[in-house]
Amino acid sequence: MQTLLQLFFTALQIGAVYILFALGLTLIFGVLRIVNFAHGQFFTLSALIVSVAVPWFANGGSPVWLAYTLACLCGVIVTSALGALVYEVGFKRVERDMTGSFILSAGFVLMIEGVFTKLFGGIVRPVPPLVDGNIDVFGISVAAQRLVLCGVAAALTLLLTLALGGTRFGKALRAVSIDHQAAMLQGISYRRIGFGGFVAATAIGAVAGALIAPVAAVSPTLGDAYLVKGFIAVVIGGMGSVPGAILGGLFIAFVESFVGFYFDPSVASLAIFVLVMAVLLVRPKGLLGHE
Amino acid sequence: MLHPAIRHLFRTSLVIACSAHVGLSMANETIKLGLSVPLSGSGAPWGVGAEWLCRKAASEIAESGGVKVKGQVVNFECVTYDNKYNAAEGAKVAQALVNKDDVKFVAGSIGTAPVRALQSLTERKGVLLFTTAWGASIKGTNYPLTFTQMNTTIEIAGPLTGFIAKAHPIKTVALLNPNDATGQETEKTARKAWEAAGVKVVSSDWYERGSSEFQPVAAKLSALKPDGIDLCSTPPADAGLVFKELAGLGWNGVKIVEVGTGASGLIATGGNAAQGVYLGAAVSLDGPTVTAHQRALDDGVRKATGDSINAVQIGIYDAVYALKAAMERAQSTEPADVAKAMSSVTFTSFYGNKSGFGGKAVYGTPQQMMLPVIVTQLKDGKLVEVARIASGEQR
Repeated sequence: MQTLLQLFFTALQIGAVYILFALGLTLIFGVLRIVNFAHGQFFTLSALIVSVAVPWFANGGSPVWLAYTLACLCGVIVTSALGALVYEVGFKRVERDMTGSFILSAGFVLMIEGVFTKLFGGIVRPVPPLVDGNIDVFGISVAAQRLVLCGVAAALTLLLTLALGGTRFGKALRAVSIDHQAAMLQGISYRRIGFGGFVAATAIGAVAGALIAPVAAVSPTLGDAYLVKGFIAVVIGGMGSVPGAILGGLFIAFVESFVGFYFDPSVASLAIFVLVMAVLLVRPKGLLGHE
Repeated sequence: MLHPAIRHLFRTSLVIACSAHVGLSMANETIKLGLSVPLSGSGAPWGVGAEWLCRKAASEIAESGGVKVKGQVVNFECVTYDNKYNAAEGAKVAQALVNKDDVKFVAGSIGTAPVRALQSLTERKGVLLFTTAWGASIKGTNYPLTFTQMNTTIEIAGPLTGFIAKAHPIKTVALLNPNDATGQETEKTARKAWEAAGVKVVSSDWYERGSSEFQPVAAKLSALKPDGIDLCSTPPADAGLVFKELAGLGWNGVKIVEVGTGASGLIATGGNAAQGVYLGAAVSLDGPTVTAHQRALDDGVRKATGDSINAVQIGIYDAVYALKAAMERAQSTEPADVAKAMSSVTFTSFYGNKSGFGGKAVYGTPQQMMLPVIVTQLKDGKLVEVARIASGEQR
């Protein structure tokens, strides 16, 4: 029982990052109908900035919590700016073009990763945790830093869900993702919503990167593994579906946790791919995908 | 029509210019030394440090007069590409080095998967290859141009496991390896070595290189309650994450990273959980016998990588000097001639001892650089040498 509880909590902790990552991807696809492989680079940039900024602020005399908060803010702002730039010079021209966006984003991945390696070096960078140590939850030992990550992920997911349902911008995003032509006929500016949606998705990815930094090996290639898992989560849940991204993220996390324990991580990776193929055979649009 | 005197002057000048050019050509030749190494990801410290050390060795040799071959002076120039520690990039790097840059000598290659891609080209094209790749199958009579430039798991596993089994009362050990060619080769040898040392291997698990999530496998390892956990060929940063998760779960046994090469990557991700880890391929330069030259090289690598020098990087430095010795012995810069001479040369390695190539009993041909096995342990954030075991042939 204790083992099952441990694995359940492990799955929730792992799933928190996958959900945030997948939310950004699905938002971009939902609004712009494009695939963005460079999302992993946005995630990575935020983590890299946190790895540089936290020691810088801490050495300047700031307490750890303030240094971390400021570093996260810097990471999200800079990454969002990069997202805006990438949209303006690239993705704006390939909206609703799957092939074009596929090729463009693959090119961005190579270019941006090369720039990161030049700027930050290829070495893994240490990031001190915001909160150290472990906490006992129902007899299970849980890393305090990971609890913070789960809490923030849950809050952000709730905020996004409320924003999509309750704000003008959120409603416009949903309208565009359902039928962009009808939305335009209603007076919604597709270009403005596309830009806003892309930057919002980038910011969500940046938050995920900033949160994972203290518990991951931060280097210019950090986002590569998360990109694959993020895409699988989106594909399983349904591209363009926010609840689908949450479901997909949790699905992968539970497979990784349980199969990784009862077999090993390599078998878990294989199982994830086999399961996504099975889902696509049965429901090609994903579990909660739109028609 | 030119005046005859002017024509004569022109002819004489042309002859002098050609002679000077030929003379200059005979005075200096630059040979490219290729490197196929990871410059990004968790293997980056190895690659970045290797590149720095290759350049350093090349400049030291140039400053001391170069390599003397048939009256010519030969100098080295290092050409490096990022193989990202995977076969696909390794294949691209192989094409770049061998076909595009026309490299005849590869002074260093890291990662069994990318090295296999490189070796399939180098042996065919007559390029001499130095590698840190683990597998026994990477050298032998079928690969006469391939030499290993650091102790592999075959050389390290026996002495390391024997030392730990004597120092600690461990009866069981669990293994974890990356699921690639390097990990698969290491696992076989590690398993045999632990069993020979009287320690039972209770589990052997695999993870995909590039992962950041080690909680599930740490939970599995911890649940088995082994006396020791050997992370074999796991890179330092990944190993730190695993030990951190294990510490969080309350496991506190003997920690080993057989191919552990440095402390910084371990501490960066593992923090206090990395204390007490035994490493089989790291070098500690804090003792009284360390020379000024060794410290200077360590300082240079620290500046370049943020971590201390390690056995993987040192292999590239030693390989450059081995090439110098073999070229001077063979009095040739042809890879086949240099390879023939390599088995009989001696040179002074970074470690200060006379080194050469051996391993005929294990591999069929003497293609393994003979180096001591240095066992280090992380104590209070510092790497401390706890044992130095000479290779059988050196003894």
